[in-house]
Amino acid sequence: MAQPILEIDDLVTGYGRTQVLWGVTLALNEGERIGLFGPNGHGKSTLLKTVSGLLKPWRGAIRLNGESIGGVQPRAVVDRGLIHVPQGNVLFPQLTVVENLRLGAYARRARAEREPNLARVFELFPRLAERRRQLSRTLSGGERQMLAIGVGLMGAPKLLMLDEPTLGLAPKLKDELLDAIGKISRVGVPLVLVEQDVEFLVALTDRLYMINHGAVALDIASTDRLDHGEIMQMYFGKG
Amino acid sequence: MATAQSVFLSGIVLGSLYAMMATGLSLVWTTLGIFNFAHGIFMAVGALVAWQVGTDLGWGLGPAAGLAIGVAVLVGIGFLSELVVVRPFLARRDVVLIAVITTLSASIFFENGTLLIWGARYKQLEPLIPGKVDLLSTAISAHEVLIIVIAPLTLVLLWLFLKFTRIGSAIRAVSQNRESALLMGMNVSLLYSSAFALSAGLAGLSGILLGSVRFITPSLGAEPLVKALIVAIFGGLGSLGGTIGAAYVIGLLEAISVYFIGLYWTPALLFGVMILVLLVRPTGLFGRKG
Amino acid sequence: MRLNLTGPDGARLLCLAVLVVLPFFVPSAYVRHLIIVAVVYGVVASNWNFSLGYGGIFNFGHLAFFGLGAYASAILAKTVGITPWVTIVLAGVVAVIAAIIVSVPVLRLKGIYVVLVTFAFSQLCLQLIMSQQGMTGGSQGFPLVPQLKLGDYSFASDDKFGYYFVALFLLVISTLYLERLVRSNFGISVVALRDNEDYAVSRGISLARQRLLTLVASALFTGMAGGFFSTYTRVASPEIFGFGPLSLALSMMLLGGTGSIYGPIVGAFVITIVSELMIDLGPARFLIIAAMIILVLLFYPGGIIVGLRRAYDELLKLRPTRA
Repeated sequence: MAQPILEIDDLVTGYGRTQVLWGVTLALNEGERIGLFGPNGHGKSTLLKTVSGLLKPWRGAIRLNGESIGGVQPRAVVDRGLIHVPQGNVLFPQLTVVENLRLGAYARRARAEREPNLARVFELFPRLAERRRQLSRTLSGGERQMLAIGVGLMGAPKLLMLDEPTLGLAPKLKDELLDAIGKISRVGVPLVLVEQDVEFLVALTDRLYMINHGAVALDIASTDRLDHGEIMQMYFGKG
Repeated sequence: MATAQSVFLSGIVLGSLYAMMATGLSLVWTTLGIFNFAHGIFMAVGALVAWQVGTDLGWGLGPAAGLAIGVAVLVGIGFLSELVVVRPFLARRDVVLIAVITTLSASIFFENGTLLIWGARYKQLEPLIPGKVDLLSTAISAHEVLIIVIAPLTLVLLWLFLKFTRIGSAIRAVSQNRESALLMGMNVSLLYSSAFALSAGLAGLSGILLGSVRFITPSLGAEPLVKALIVAIFGGLGSLGGTIGAAYVIGLLEAISVYFIGLYWTPALLFGVMILVLLVRPTGLFGRKG
Repeated sequence: MRLNLTGPDGARLLCLAVLVVLPFFVPSAYVRHLIIVAVVYGVVASNWNFSLGYGGIFNFGHLAFFGLGAYASAILAKTVGITPWVTIVLAGVVAVIAAIIVSVPVLRLKGIYVVLVTFAFSQLCLQLIMSQQGMTGGSQGFPLVPQLKLGDYSFASDDKFGYYFVALFLLVISTLYLERLVRSNFGISVVALRDNEDYAVSRGISLARQRLLTLVASALFTGMAGGFFSTYTRVASPEIFGFGPLSLALSMMLLGGTGSIYGPIVGAFVITIVSELMIDLGPARFLIIAAMIILVLLFYPGGIIVGLRRAYDELLKLRPTRA
């Protein structure tokens, strides 16, 4: 088997003295889309933050295409094409939509493709094109999420990590967004997707990891066809 | 009525200087979330470098060279100061407080440094343009006209820089959301030093312009700094437009007050007005809520 | 109250004992003068620490309380003719009134706005003093303030021994007062408000009232220290309101450590001594002090007192312990 794109090995970290991750091990292979789910506060966001360099790992390894990126500056991670769209990202509220998007291509490697990528984002999210001159704080919740994903795409990702892009959205908007994410991943961008809604994850990804108590509790292929009852059982333990 | 016009003009001159100073303070405040109490001494250092480079008592390279080198040196000093007195403390919980003491320390450092290098004798810069000009049927020094022109020009340039350049928008961005800026691959530390350097450059420029109107002492910037603080509070920290507007309001208010109730009671009046504004709007007159 | 002589009480009594006998061992009146200055700054810094360190109110007008106290006492003693013993106490009252005035705008403000408004307040006090030349002496200061006298005994005549003990008395009273204050219900609620404003407010602590009282409490002895200082130096000087004393007191507080009452007092002594040792360097010594402040903040964020405590604990460990 070829080398995995992203490899996380026994990762341990936390905030200050509070440990959150207790040894996470997972891998993402070429062309693969993985989903992370599990109860809130059990380390999904912390995991992504550590991968993107916002948090330093206490122990363990993070490798991108075989190269160790554990503990490097976020901008070194971005330079390697790993883009993290954090949860509930408000971006830069006092800048316009298009200013936000252009800043998404701040890294040198994304700059050359900035304008073509901008056109692609506007194609994916026509609503952002309509509101391009508006300050981003005036956007609705759904539009903000679109902008956040759009900014991530502007970074010309070789690997995209989305943290709950549909958090707090109405079902209709949620479908719309997941549709867009599906389009992105079909272009062949490897994806790490965090979602509460496991059914969506099953539809969009190839493999699922359940993160529980700061570690991987379960690793399942999405094709295994879980039914609702099984998922509930995974969340809440065996009854 | 010539008096009204001369009061107006002196208000505009003051407002121009305050606008440049307060914008510098406000730039650092919005970007780094700290207040730079060395801003006043930066003015004095700028004026002294310009004096050293430009005047015949120094190296005699002329006022223009003095201005250019003075501002350049200040940009450098700003960059280094951020590195030494701000950056190591940015992650601390009480950074706002610590930054007050570290920038005050920097202020003491530079104040006594200038005393060591240049001694305590008063100095003065030659005006950048000599002579007098008739403006609004009032005779006013050409240098003051230059201040009235340079200040808005500089601020427009600053605005263009912040609005349309890559680094400029990044500086605005990082002040709004540090984490997102990091995740977009911005070099946040470098942006912080750049904002600080830019602010120091503005202080240097204000100092050089002021240095041919007043005598240059280490405390050249102390009194304007207090005024600029009032302006920054008045305008609502962080809003560039509000700060500039407030600078001219305060400048005019000061000129009017000096004319009608005298030099000594003016600070009390300004302070009173500031308190009133804060009582009504705790985030400043033009400041955003929250 | 039982004294725990091997614990903190022992350290305090030891320090007090050293301070009481110290003037008899130091060689000159000048050194006694330096200790008096350190003691006065100790009162200023430790009281400031009550509002800033304990209360979390960034009051940068604290030196204005000191300055106003100095001027009030000097003017009352010389112009009105009240005995300095009384004017020093009245200086505390004047500082308390100033604290009430500065509280008005501060009550509703947050963070940096508090810093700016209080700093502007102290500058305003300075401007007012400069402008009232007839009453205050303007930029020249207010000279020839009457000396302390006790019957026929003048404190000016005995190589500063008298003033030394008055200053020490002030420090001891102020410190006992602060000790009582931080242990009182009021003191505890002040810290609670600093640490969790929302919680404290929801428990019925009034933010505005609390801030007002905190500032007032920190002003009382600061003003008296000002009154003592102008009586002792025989001049009330506008320089008190400048950047110099402000950053000096602030660095004493931060170097010493804001976590306790004693940190700022230790800081006051250390900075006074260090600055004195380098007096021959002229302006260069301020460069060194400034650099030192940055370094200590960088490497000892808790302040010197933390190191001292540790050393004292180690010292006690060396003694054989009784079973």
